[in-house]
Amino acid sequence: MAEFDDQTDQSTVNRLVRGGVLLIAGLVMLFFAWGYPTGTINQMGPGFIPQTVGVLISVLAVAIIVIDLRNPEQEDVGQMHWRGLIFISAAIAIFAILVDVAGLVPSMFLAVAVSICADDDARPIPTLIYASIATLFGWLLFLVALGLPIPAFWR
Amino acid sequence: MLDQFLLGLSVVLQPTVLIYAFFGVFLGQLIGVLPGVGAITAISLLLPVTFYLDATTSMILLAGIYYGSQYGGSIASILMNLPGTPSSVVTCLEGYPLAQSNRAGLALFVAAFSSFVGGMVGVAILVLAAIPMTIIALKFGAPEYAMLVILGLLAASMIGTGSQIRSFAMVVLGIALGLVGADATTGYYRFVALPELADGISLVSLAMGLFGVSEIIRNASKRRPANAPHLSISMRDVIPTREQARSLGMPILRGSSIGSFFGALPGTGAAIASFMAYAMERRFSRSPEKFGKGHLPGLAAPESANNAASQTGFIPTLTLGVPGDAVMALIVGALILNGIIPGPRLMVDQPDLFWGVIASFFVGNIILLLINIPLIKLWVLLLRIPYQKLYPIIVVMICVGVYSHRTSVTDVVLTLAFGILGYLMKNYRFEPAPVLLGFVLGPLLEDNFRRTMLLYGGDFSVFVTRPISAVLVAGSVFLIGFAIFSSVSNRNKSNRATT
Repeated sequence: MAEFDDQTDQSTVNRLVRGGVLLIAGLVMLFFAWGYPTGTINQMGPGFIPQTVGVLISVLAVAIIVIDLRNPEQEDVGQMHWRGLIFISAAIAIFAILVDVAGLVPSMFLAVAVSICADDDARPIPTLIYASIATLFGWLLFLVALGLPIPAFWR
Repeated sequence: MLDQFLLGLSVVLQPTVLIYAFFGVFLGQLIGVLPGVGAITAISLLLPVTFYLDATTSMILLAGIYYGSQYGGSIASILMNLPGTPSSVVTCLEGYPLAQSNRAGLALFVAAFSSFVGGMVGVAILVLAAIPMTIIALKFGAPEYAMLVILGLLAASMIGTGSQIRSFAMVVLGIALGLVGADATTGYYRFVALPELADGISLVSLAMGLFGVSEIIRNASKRRPANAPHLSISMRDVIPTREQARSLGMPILRGSSIGSFFGALPGTGAAIASFMAYAMERRFSRSPEKFGKGHLPGLAAPESANNAASQTGFIPTLTLGVPGDAVMALIVGALILNGIIPGPRLMVDQPDLFWGVIASFFVGNIILLLINIPLIKLWVLLLRIPYQKLYPIIVVMICVGVYSHRTSVTDVVLTLAFGILGYLMKNYRFEPAPVLLGFVLGPLLEDNFRRTMLLYGGDFSVFVTRPISAVLVAGSVFLIGFAIFSSVSNRNKSNRATT
């Protein structure tokens, strides 16, 4: 039984997280929206709806927390794919950082190469070959065919 | 009505427009075939492309992807038991057993033909309903619009799968995200944490993050069983026998009617329509024991239903400018980004766009029927492409697409943020689709609500004294009541089950 109690404690925290994050979002919204001019009911200011929405989100978040705490037998949180999360995020972040500095071709190459690493079976040589081919096609599609106004390389 | 439809046809049959219509349905079918890439992902991916096209062709392109994916979705369901789209989940039930007993060709043909009939019925109802709906919609004032949006948002959160309160919270979250940027009436900056946010959050970033990036994160490191089928289809086993064909008439008709009805309602869409049609067919059938073992009527009814629904879904979108689900919200968003405000004025002011889009559905369904069976070898080949070879390219397309839209690095970073958000949301059982609906409809709601209050001096009774608005209020109250009733009765049921 002791084992079970331990698990329950952990899952209580887990269940709190879902609505809790939403509650924080609602409260943060209210914090900022509180300063906006509300106006009157027939001449609403820009703050009226944001405040209403902030209150609504917070109320719904509390309701979700209550429901989650009362129904302990709900399915568990989906399995986290850390590898996918980290490498896909890194690929997009690298693209965002590099595209203005280094141009489209290097940032495309790195974005492809890094995102391939999200796959458990990724191996260095095929990754490099694949990234090179994908970059070549990307260059042909975006810069040659569509003529997007993005520099190909750093200047 | 026929005149307008012919006007539409004349728009679609221009060679350049026809190419985009073909490209749209082809791409849609391809996307539907590929498991793991849905219509909503594909449409978000192509949003930036539409800025280089005019409004009519971008609408035709995006809509083609949507209903084309309904055709394609059945292919992976039948051959591999993998639903390519949510609405083809029931197609697996009858289609896969047929494929296992070496009747894949027959199943594919029946699915394609039922889809075609369903789609055509949907288009016909859309054509018939367009003018009356627009006449009603032209009577809509600010209070009606505000109430219609509320009804649509409630319906989307109450009827969909999953917890109602969670979906509703996500709708409200979407409204909140839509508030970011300058207030439309006063120009006051709201939630502008960075100067780049002054124009608001880009629909492209939100859609690509929630539906593109999050799906890639989820699927990138997941193994998929490599059971790509090796099949040889000869034309002989494709065509149903006369007896089989006769048994399909009524199911297709019933499926098309159910689909047309649920497609036009706000909040329900192709997925719900296909489930309803399957359940209905089973009840009507004289041999319900055959279901689940490759029964052709059980395949035909939902297939025609989801395609009919994907066409009639355009009734509220095109005539009222109020999208019924997330895909429609994206299409409305694309129109707005192209500088066109969807609504009843659309048919009056831009008849060639309005009827051109509708006529493109007619042409598109014919194209889909024609390319479906002959290209079956190509679709089977596509099913062999592992997702691992596909997603790095999608990542780059998302990055370049978002970046090139406004040449903004902030948009790329926001896409990543929404991608991670969407991924975590799904893991914690929050659906991302209502967020998008709230995001698109939120500004419409705020604008019309504030205008109502201004016009009627802050008097809330205007919502129930105007007849159309009163009906919409009654609908919303009914939905809330239904939601409370069903959750209470569910709890009673589960209490009884546990004690």
